Amino acid sequence: MHVVVLLKQVLDPEIPQKAFDVDPVRKVPKVERAPQVLSIFDGNALELALRLREARGDATITALTLGVERADEVLRKALALTCDAAVRVGADPEALDSRQKARLLAAAIRTLEPPDLVLAGRQAADWEAGQVGAMVAEELSLPCVPFVSRVEAAEDPLTVRQQLESGYAVVRLGGPSVCTVTNDETNVLRAAKVKDVMAAGRKPLRVIAPEEIGGISGLGPAVELLALELPAKRTGAEMVDAGSAEESARALARRLRELGAI
Amino acid sequence: MARVLAVLGLQGQGASASGLELLGLGARLARATSGTITALALGEGAGAQGERLLAHGADDVLWCADEALARWPGEAGLRALERAQQEVRPDLLLFSADSLGRDLAPRIAARLDAGLITEATELEFSEGRFVAARPVFGGKAIARMAATTELTVVTVRAGAGSALEPDASRAAGGSVRELDAAIAPGAAWPTVLRREIEASDGPRLEEAKTVVSGGRGVGGPEGFQTLQELADALKGAVGASRAAVDEGWVPAAWQVGQTGKAVAPDLYIAVGISGASQHMVGCSRAKTLVAINTDPDALIFETARIGVVGDYRELVPALARALRELA
Ligand SMILES: Cc1cc2nc3c(=O)[nH]c(=O)nc-3n(C[C@H](O)[C@H](O)[C@H](O)COP(=O)(O)OP(=O)(O)OC[C@H]3O[C@@H](n4cnc5c(N)ncnc54)[C@H](O)[C@@H]3O)c2cc1C
Repeated sequence: MHVVVLLKQVLDPEIPQKAFDVDPVRKVPKVERAPQVLSIFDGNALELALRLREARGDATITALTLGVERADEVLRKALALTCDAAVRVGADPEALDSRQKARLLAAAIRTLEPPDLVLAGRQAADWEAGQVGAMVAEELSLPCVPFVSRVEAAEDPLTVRQQLESGYAVVRLGGPSVCTVTNDETNVLRAAKVKDVMAAGRKPLRVIAPEEIGGISGLGPAVELLALELPAKRTGAEMVDAGSAEESARALARRLRELGAI
Repeated sequence: MARVLAVLGLQGQGASASGLELLGLGARLARATSGTITALALGEGAGAQGERLLAHGADDVLWCADEALARWPGEAGLRALERAQQEVRPDLLLFSADSLGRDLAPRIAARLDAGLITEATELEFSEGRFVAARPVFGGKAIARMAATTELTVVTVRAGAGSALEPDASRAAGGSVRELDAAIAPGAAWPTVLRREIEASDGPRLEEAKTVVSGGRGVGGPEGFQTLQELADALKGAVGASRAAVDEGWVPAAWQVGQTGKAVAPDLYIAVGISGASQHMVGCSRAKTLVAINTDPDALIFETARIGVVGDYRELVPALARALRELA
């Protein structure tokens, strides 16, 4: 079984608002030193792939990213977590819309051993569009199951758990499919072992130029970014402080009663 | 003269509040262009919703209650959408940003070569096109976007629009038709084998009038017991931040936020939660939001209505006692 996991390197979503600014002309974030991390749902997708391989024994995992050179860091991380191969489409994600990225990723996947399963985070932690995984499915003419949190049965046909608003569905795949992954308590990404980190540094990374795989000719951007702005400032909370915890709690309870909240 | 198609998913429960909001938003946009709006009702019981949807602003209603929609929601939903698109030829295709909309919108947009904007919190018709605003970078910035294609596809967050006052007299003017979707299941389609609703002892998180949510600051599963006691005293439910789920302290079903549950209780008490926007998206519709946090500079004090600085291990039990005194 061949599993492809799509990984994106993003601006660390945990940087505080204070440190965040925008460049209104270029319409990109303006952050000093701009720490980059693996997008968090992609981490969940990777963990799901690793667990699936453990459960089956016969799976190989290819980590695939689209990014500029520094995005190799997420591939190194994937290799350190013992992914079997790593591929980067050398393109700047900030210059492409979701569909264009999906087109390139799908073309890169076609150069690999045909996957039985493609996993992607449900949405990236930067622009949060939530489009690429599903669009890759369309580009590859594969079905797509969104919001998958775990594999329920690892033998064929694969059965997965899909999270829904209230509860979940158990879904049986009918063949090669794309699943977009959401977090739950079972798919928190593990830490790499020191020896695997060392070994990962020596493993090959394959870089594909967009031109090698047909590029995006004929596919213009479908969405235009008109403006990127900081949100309006919010007014602060009314603070309750009556000295001790006991007294503050009483004051809070009274205030809630006044407001009709209880 | 835009043609708007608004997709409403039903699961045997009739149109939801967010579905009617979506319809209201679509109807206003259609009027702004002197155009029309068609509601597409998908799922069990869709056929019975026609008059209600007309009264809430639809000019026409198409419905599809094919059983295939329950077993293959994504793939069958796409087939139905493709049929509806061919009939209506919309300029604007609207979904709620829920599990159905987030599933179908990117796939139909790719199929129709249309520009898609997801998670819109505002949508207007301006200078001849539909312009959406949506939070990005966890709400640290707002992006304004428009499609460059003839068809614009948008998923809309709850609260971006509002339902129209129902007007039963409108029902006479519009048509209600069953969509002939002719869904023939494919062998490769992923099949829903069963659906499970999480068990809950008290009120369900998404319906509770009071929600007490805990974050990383709660420190462990035992701390959530303290929160449960407060929630019980308020006949409420317990929720959590993603951090608490990631720590393995509580099940993922408790997660509130952009990628968890969206709740709209009368009272939301956030305990040991820093206030990351991805969390706040899920509770921004609470009428009164209270934050309890040891850090006076916590971001959550910017959005909360009421804040108390302190250790929850003292404040939460004290609050439970104070509530009993008041009762
Ligand atoms: C694309 C994306 C989607 C996401 N979706 C969600 C989502 O749906 N829901 C969600 O919650 N998060 C989501 N997140 C994660 C989010 O960004 C934050 O990481 C998360 O909400 C932080 O959880 P927290 O506030 O519990 O933890 P922290 O940020 O670590 O905050 C803990 C707080 O507890 C306080 N504290 C510590 N001890 C005590 C004490 N004894 N008493 C009182 N207070 C104390 C601290 O001062 C601190 O403010 C998402 C992130 C991304 C990138």
